[in-house]
Amino acid sequence: MKEKNIAIMLGIMCFLLTVGICIQMKTVTSNAFRMGKTYAENELRNNVLKWKEKYDVAYEKLETKEARLEKLRETASTSSESSENIKSELEKNNMALGYTEVIGKGITITLKDGENVSNRLDVASSLVHDADLIEVINALKNAGAEAISINGERIVDKTAITCAGNIIKINNEKVGVPFVINAIGLPEKLYGALKMQGGYISKLKEDGVFVEITQQNSITIPKYNGVYKFQYAKVAE
Amino acid sequence: MKGKYTMIISIGFAALILTAIMFTQFKTVEQTDITAIETMRETELRTELADWKTKYDELEEKLNETESKINEYQAEVSNSKESSNVLDKELAETNMYLGYTKLQGEGIEITLSDNEYKTIDRWDLLQLVNELKLAGAEAISINNERIVSTTEIATVGVQFILINGNRIPAPFTVKAIGDKKYLESAITIKGGYIDEMKVNEKTVDYTVKDLIEIPAYSGKINFEYAEENK
Repeated sequence: MKEKNIAIMLGIMCFLLTVGICIQMKTVTSNAFRMGKTYAENELRNNVLKWKEKYDVAYEKLETKEARLEKLRETASTSSESSENIKSELEKNNMALGYTEVIGKGITITLKDGENVSNRLDVASSLVHDADLIEVINALKNAGAEAISINGERIVDKTAITCAGNIIKINNEKVGVPFVINAIGLPEKLYGALKMQGGYISKLKEDGVFVEITQQNSITIPKYNGVYKFQYAKVAE
Repeated sequence: MKGKYTMIISIGFAALILTAIMFTQFKTVEQTDITAIETMRETELRTELADWKTKYDELEEKLNETESKINEYQAEVSNSKESSNVLDKELAETNMYLGYTKLQGEGIEITLSDNEYKTIDRWDLLQLVNELKLAGAEAISINNERIVSTTEIATVGVQFILINGNRIPAPFTVKAIGDKKYLESAITIKGGYIDEMKVNEKTVDYTVKDLIEIPAYSGKINFEYAEENK
């Protein structure tokens, strides 16, 4: 009798172990399948890392060069008063183009996909879309925002906001929820314009999107990392 | 008696081996779980690679530009009278990018007009401007109001759209300078802007042109609250 008990117990243990192994095997097999595919992917992966590395190196180089250019401008402009004026105008222009990091008071808007949407008929409307970002930026510009960024991407004149599948791209960079929009300007004015009855933010709230707006004493907005270049447009006389 | 021991030992031994195998398996599974790039699939990797390449190319262009400016300054610094010429040139360039100059070039002209069913609204214009920017438009204007970085397209009342603080009535003529073929295909693509407008019963027309003139922005971009963070 006792012998039988031991045998049964050991049998059960063996069974459990086998099941465990089978589960593991399956996981590993699916991984192995991926590994097989990864052979081609590895090449790509290395390439991605290589280009990222190249980018980082070039970026550092650019920073040094820009600092050097700045010094040269300084020397060039000290020679006369008129060139001093030109220099300050150039600085202002570079700021307007988004070429410098700026700081000032303003507001921060956070947009997130809505939760508890099960009782809504239209779940899609509680998600944040590219159109929502375009509208909010437009509303901020209308309220006199001087500099705007979304998740660290500076919004400049040539900035386009697009949506491919469920990925939103700004300045060709992927951005995802939550969207943190920073804007420099008169906080009360920006805040008031967004909170306005019948404004776009109130529409977003009605749609079930999570919206949070806070006034800030000091926000920093990073510079634009792209380049301006005209290939087709020429100055008209 | 002897049979019993043999059985227990052999079963115990088997269990030990199985446990050992299981642990090995666990380890393997753990090892395959690595960082984000490592788990990306081929298509994702391809886009990622293309993205980095574009970014690198852009950066390199900027780098070359900065270098050539440095060279110009250095060349001019020797005869200091000339050095302000380089500054002038740089200023002129930034003025052009900011929209302070009248521009001309090939491009596309799109007309949006009200019909008996639908009127053109803010979103129709916002969306079009965004599409054109995405297609690489270098300059855009709506009814001769130049679109610059601070331009708003707002609704005032029912009849007007506010652009650069000016009330603009329909019909709207949107002009864009850029690669005309590219601009055209960007809005005429199946399911794209023109299709969407037609589905919404809105009136839209376009002409591709070899020469388009876009006026300068009449204002000036000013900073009252933002300052450079040094």
